[in-house]
This record gives sequence, structure tokens and C-alpha cells, in this order.
Amino acid sequence: MTTDEEMLRVYRHDAHKTRGRPHAHAVDELAGVPVNLKVPYGADANAAALSRPSGSPSQTVETYESHYRLSLLSGESRYDPESFNIGQYRDEIHDLLSVEDALEMHERWLTSELMGAFNESVHYPYTSLKYHTLLVAALVANYRRGAEFEDLWVVVDGPDEITPHRTIFAGETFNLRVTANPAGEPRARLGSRPWRSWASTWERMTEHPQLLPEQIDQRHRKREMFLDAQLRRIQAWSTALQYIEDFVSELGAE
Amino acid sequence: MTVQQVLFGLETDYIGHPYYVSGNAIFHALAPHLDRRTLDAIGVSHGVFVPGQFGVYPDDHSQAGSHPAMGNTLIEPESYADFFLKREQAHSWLLDSKPRDAMNSYQIRVQSGELAMATETFHGRAEHKRQQTDTTQWNIHCYLHSDDPSVLPLPDGVLDGLQFGGRRNFGYGITELKQTATFTLSELSFTELEDADRYLVKFITPYVLTSEHPNTTPHNIPWWWEHETPLRRREEKIAEERELYDLTVVDHGQVVGYGGSEPIKTAKKGIRRIGTHSKYGFGELRVIPVDEESE
Repeated sequence: MTTDEEMLRVYRHDAHKTRGRPHAHAVDELAGVPVNLKVPYGADANAAALSRPSGSPSQTVETYESHYRLSLLSGESRYDPESFNIGQYRDEIHDLLSVEDALEMHERWLTSELMGAFNESVHYPYTSLKYHTLLVAALVANYRRGAEFEDLWVVVDGPDEITPHRTIFAGETFNLRVTANPAGEPRARLGSRPWRSWASTWERMTEHPQLLPEQIDQRHRKREMFLDAQLRRIQAWSTALQYIEDFVSELGAE
Repeated sequence: MTVQQVLFGLETDYIGHPYYVSGNAIFHALAPHLDRRTLDAIGVSHGVFVPGQFGVYPDDHSQAGSHPAMGNTLIEPESYADFFLKREQAHSWLLDSKPRDAMNSYQIRVQSGELAMATETFHGRAEHKRQQTDTTQWNIHCYLHSDDPSVLPLPDGVLDGLQFGGRRNFGYGITELKQTATFTLSELSFTELEDADRYLVKFITPYVLTSEHPNTTPHNIPWWWEHETPLRRREEKIAEERELYDLTVVDHGQVVGYGGSEPIKTAKKGIRRIGTHSKYGFGELRVIPVDEESE
């Protein structure tokens, strides 16, 4: 077991958003651990800039103001805000937040479906709390080793390769990682400053991974192209990473 | 060179190439309505999917401010950058105050195991679906070009009601003509490409390296593309008279450094497109000026 308080704080910092309250009015403790925390190195603000516009936020979807994420794939909230009872899932959230091993915490976030049910801001309902948190973790892990944003790359790993805190997406056919030291993997630079650069970064990758499990036939190949086509259009990082997860789970097989 | 921009509205769901409607598909939809001389004299670009939305002019555009119908209308280009307003699929003109990613990704419908692009995208709560503010209609933007001043513009009647993609017999992929606008390349200002510190080249559509189609020869990567790592390639197909031919392409969306010395000339060539099957939409390039100070 590793004790890494700094990283544990990162994974807990936005957990109050599962309760749908902004920072100012949020609970400060969930599952007996502190939440609503400040993150060092400006990593939270940088990760936010990867998925949300700068400036004071405004409601982007007039008819929807909720902390439950809207799916770009289905157009719906995964949980119906009228009937979804957070109490049902409280144990699962508490269980996750009270993990004391930072490495286990990282892996639990990577595989948590529940944390993808929430958005990172009620103003931007298509963003994902899960991938925002994983992006913050990857930035902190790189920054505290002395890297600056402009040194960073996103690289493609195999599906079994998880690097502590730096892996931001773990899928069935590939993983994605943020690192200052790429070693020949398919890759793209994150750029000189954080902005909603997902589509632009995806388009600059030296190679694209196989997106869906086992290509069976031409029809399957076309599904992969549909996903790729959308990834070339989505700008917010957390929205795009969540979209891959949703697409693979709902349309990844016949 | 005469350029005719065309904006189609998507009337029924589309089962076709998910990245774009290829210039080849548009050319073959037009072919039955045109004589041989016209077909020989025109080139047809790929059709880019455009959300029918409000917009704000990007910083490099010759105009400023917002336009309520930016995605639903053709705006006459004055400068080279204006020309690309609807050619890049990220559509940087979409408003940040709106759910731009939802507006710029299409909703997918599964039709007998095949994925189809829906004619409109909903954003917001399901029960509000019918509200206009929560719906985005899809358009398709392409341009025709010719050096023969007598063939363009094509009349509206030829462009209205074209059908693209698969399962056309079942009514998929029907479009309506929304608007066309014609200009000559000599009217376009290229001053933004003078005196930049350096230039980049962005591939708006794929560049064909090899084609199985008869009467084509392999192309190398041009010497004036500067890149440190190999360029991402992709397999692609082109259809002609029910035959499918395999292509190897340099994938679109990538950016390289410009190693040439005549950016304006290259920019004009990029609109006209380069390489194999350039008549059918492949090899469209954009030259991007970079000033080190603003980096």
C-alpha cells in the first residue's frame, strides 16, 4: 500500500459534485473524508480549461440544469434526475472515496461507471466528472515531477498498460496516458496552453488506435469510422473520453 | 477559376461515409443531370457536415460579430480564411454559450445493424425535444470549381433533391438545395499569407498516395511537407459504376510545416486540390500563417 495524500486529495477534490452543489455551498465531507478541496499546481484549472470555455460560466442547455451528465451518444441523462436516488449509490461512492491506497484509487476511477454519471459543471452537462478528475490527476502527477503543460503529450498504450495516475482512459482495445516522456508510442502534443483541444489533438496523433474490439466485417469497420468521425468534432476532453466509453459499451458490438 | 459553393440540407437520415460525403459521391449524384463537357470541366469537393446553428465569426475572418444563421447560410468569402469557414469539421464558429459539442456531433440511429446519421441532433431533456432551441438541423457544404467560365454556376434545379450514401432506394440520404453562391478565385484576398514568420499546411481532406483505380499512378508525399514523424495513413475506398477501388491516403486533419517558398500559390493549389482523385474531393489543403509573437 502506498500513502500518497496529495493524489488521494486529487481524486476526492470534486466528489461533492455528486451531490449537485457548487463549491461555495458544497458539503466538505463525504464518507468521512474531506472533499471540495484545492488541488496544487493549478492542475484543476488547467484540466477545466481542457473541457470548458474560460470566463464566467453560463447555462449552455436552457432546458437542463442538473449535475447528472447528459450523454452525447443517447442525448439523455444516464439516470433520470426525477427518479434517480443518490442514496442507492451512496455506498458505492463512499466506498470509492474512502480508498486509502492512491494507486488503487486511480484504478478504481478508471473503471468506475458511476462517476461518469455526473458532469463536471451543471453549466456544461455533457462534460464528465470521471474524466475531469482523471485529467487533474494526470496533470498533478506530471507537474509535481517538474513538467510544465507545454511539455506534455497524450500517448496510446495497450489495454493492459496502466501507469499510476497518468493513464487517463482505460478501454478494451487501448489506453491513453498523459506524459512528458513519450517513447515512440502513437502520440500528439497537448500544445502550449490548455484549451478545448480534443479534436485538434486527436487529428494530430501520429497513429490512431483500434477503437472497437475485434473488427469482424466491413459493417464493424464502419462503426469504428463513426466513432472516429465524432472524435474529430468534439472539443471538450472529458466529453470525448466519456463518449468513447459510452460508444464502445453501447455500439461496440453487433 | 470559378468556384460555386453549395449548401445542402439533410432531409432524411444518411447511411454513408461518416467523415464526409465524398466529392466522388456528389459528382456521381450530379452526373445524370449534366452533359459530358460539363462533367469533364468541373471538380467537386468533399461535402462537410455543418450544424445549422448560430455562430460568431472566427478571429481570422474578415468580418466580426455574430451571425444568427451562420450554419444555415453561405457567407460570401472576401479573404482566403473566409473560404474555410465551413470546411473544417471542428466548426470553430459555434458559440461557447451553447452546448457546442452536442451541436457538432450527430445523433446515431441503428438501422438493421447499420449506423445512420440522423437529420437533426437534440440537446437538452427528451421531453423538450420539439423545442426549436434544442434541435440542430444538419447541412452539407461543398464547392464545385472549373477553369471554364461557361459551366458554373450549375442551375438550382440540378442541385436540388440529390441523394447521397447507402440505401438510397429506401429513401436515405435525401437532400434539398439550401443555397449556392459563386465567386472567382481572383476576387479572393490572400494578403493574410504575405509576410508571415512561417506557415503550416493542414489537410482538409485526405491526400491519396495509391489508388487501385486504373489510370492512376502512385504519388509520393510532397517535398514541401515538413514533419518529424511519419504521417498517419488510412485505407479508403472510391466507388465507380458499382466497382470499389482501394485507396491508401494520408489521413485528413493532420498538420505539417510548409517548406515551400510560395505560400499564396500553394494556397490556390490547395483549393483546387492536389494528387490522385483531386477532381473528386481528395487533396484539399489549407495554408495557415503563423506569427511567432502571437504564439
